[in-house]
Amino acid sequence: MGANVVHLALFKETEIDHAAEAISRLHALGVSDHDISVISGIPYSERILGRPMAWTTVGRIGLAGAVVGFLVAVFLSFGTPLLYPIRVAAMPFQPIPTSIVVIFELTMLGLLISTFIGVFVETISPSFGPRGYHPKVSDGHIGILFSSPAQIEEDIHAALRALGAEIVHNVEEERLWP
Amino acid sequence: MAVESKPLETVLPAAHVEEDPREHLMFDPRPREEMNRMIMEAMTTTSRRYWAWVIGLALVVLICLFGAWGNMILTGMGLAGIRRPVFWGLFIVTFVFWIGISHAGTFVSAILRVFKAEFRRPFTRASELMTTFGLAAGALFPLIHLGRVWVFYWMIPYPNARWLWPNFRSPLVWDFLAITTYLLSSTIYLYLPLVPDLAMARDRTTGWRHTLYRLLALGWRGTEAEWHRLRRAITIFAFAIIPVMFSVHTIVSWDFAVGVVAGWHSTIFGPYFIIGAILSGVAAVVSILFVLRSTMQHMDYFIRKEHFDALGKLLLVFSMAWAYFFFNDYLLTWYGGEEAARRILTLHATGPAAWVWYLMLICNVLIPWLTLWNRTIRRTPWAMFIITLLINVGMYAERYTIIPLTLGHQRMPFDWGVYTPRPTEISIVIGTFALFLLLYLLASRLIPLVPVWEVQEGQMAHTLRRVGKAEVPSVTELE
Repeated sequence: MGANVVHLALFKETEIDHAAEAISRLHALGVSDHDISVISGIPYSERILGRPMAWTTVGRIGLAGAVVGFLVAVFLSFGTPLLYPIRVAAMPFQPIPTSIVVIFELTMLGLLISTFIGVFVETISPSFGPRGYHPKVSDGHIGILFSSPAQIEEDIHAALRALGAEIVHNVEEERLWP
Repeated sequence: MAVESKPLETVLPAAHVEEDPREHLMFDPRPREEMNRMIMEAMTTTSRRYWAWVIGLALVVLICLFGAWGNMILTGMGLAGIRRPVFWGLFIVTFVFWIGISHAGTFVSAILRVFKAEFRRPFTRASELMTTFGLAAGALFPLIHLGRVWVFYWMIPYPNARWLWPNFRSPLVWDFLAITTYLLSSTIYLYLPLVPDLAMARDRTTGWRHTLYRLLALGWRGTEAEWHRLRRAITIFAFAIIPVMFSVHTIVSWDFAVGVVAGWHSTIFGPYFIIGAILSGVAAVVSILFVLRSTMQHMDYFIRKEHFDALGKLLLVFSMAWAYFFFNDYLLTWYGGEEAARRILTLHATGPAAWVWYLMLICNVLIPWLTLWNRTIRRTPWAMFIITLLINVGMYAERYTIIPLTLGHQRMPFDWGVYTPRPTEISIVIGTFALFLLLYLLASRLIPLVPVWEVQEGQMAHTLRRVGKAEVPSVTELE
């Protein structure tokens, strides 16, 4: 069997039913979900296109950041007076009510910053699906990226063209903006 | 007794003119390509008038803000009118004002997003920008007010030269933490939903713009995984930034309320400040939307009378809520009968600066209540512009009443004094208003001010469905 070739089938967003059907036909022709990637200008839920559920660790990274923020705040509020004690008459040494403010702010800061870092890390981390892009995607097209063995290329193209797809070759990202 | 039957048509109500649903943005879709083109044209078109404004505002910032501030740093804080007994003057008034304005973005974007208020879609970004730039303008004032600005880093929590840590019990440290948290999180919250639109701009530009958008778009392609993680992050932000927003203005109110100062030491100051901030923030969003709609190409397609109408209703509710909190604070202080507090209330209403107090009530209560109940007024953009400007004048007057007018007449009558803002302070305040406008003007030509993908997503979810003889608007849950 020859090397897999990456192709992009473009559908107008008004023809989303055809795009969903095209994914079913790719499955029928032996292309697995692993070799398919959908790109679009607006978000579509997985069930609309019959795709497996996407997975992300952004929430967990955010939670971890919140825990770190909380611990930093606890250190600043309760640890620093222990390290460098200044005792003032009639003033509590480690007051809880005022510390709640610091703990809340730093916990939220940890949550929000790490959520953003999570998005950033996942964006730049390696992708294992077919990679490619076409500027028409942001102009109201749904792109179905798929890689398939060269032998069944013609069958796939015929099946997708019958659904109104525009097939684009050479969609590898690095060639887009030299 | 015989019952006389009437023909059916005589008992039917007179036919009334129904609003065409297609007047609403969500029911008036255009192809994505066309919407992209409209946004790009709005973003890349500049006129001589635009550059005249940019240069004019830049000069005002340079002279009024940095010039006056630099002069004050060199000469000393004596140039400002803050002196015994009023140590918090126009700088703190304007600080509170800008922090209040910054609540607009979070309210409009996060709260309305959580509640799935569809009318928010075209102007979430315009309001998020207000948050970021409002905070940037506001965050200058603690530095300006410091006097010795070169030691600003003493506010940052790290041990100083004598190995003493900052006192985290101090509301000033709370301020620093709250504003830093809110500024960072609101900037990220502005940026995240912007990424798909930056990718759209990247696909349509060349030269330095292309390089900039390519860098900022982080290689966005719009894959399922990218959308999934973006939506997850936006949802986390929308829920998490709401309590942060509440905490910021609550902490600003605690700057006042934790002190045993007559007129400030109130348990209701937190929610009272928050509702005032949301009132002024939403009012400022309306003002900005009017300017954008009047000056930028194609904005009349995205920002419509329905949006002024919806925001007008919100403003009316917030004006009523503000009046409720104001009365609550006033009544209990008045009824308590503490001498110092009672004198302050009397002074506010009858003293030499009573006009500020009445201006506050007229602009925040009387004008909104007299006008915003009327649908025709709410749907008249220029009328809404004037009303919202007046609301913000009222909110500025509120902060002025609370801060210098209260501080000048405390418990010791021999220590009473009247605060008069000096030209340096007025100049710096004008400078920050110019800075806000300048940043907004520049941003309007650098980033897509309308989240096109959110608008298109909304339009796809909205359809007109025929039920019997009528076309009924219906919304589909696509998520």
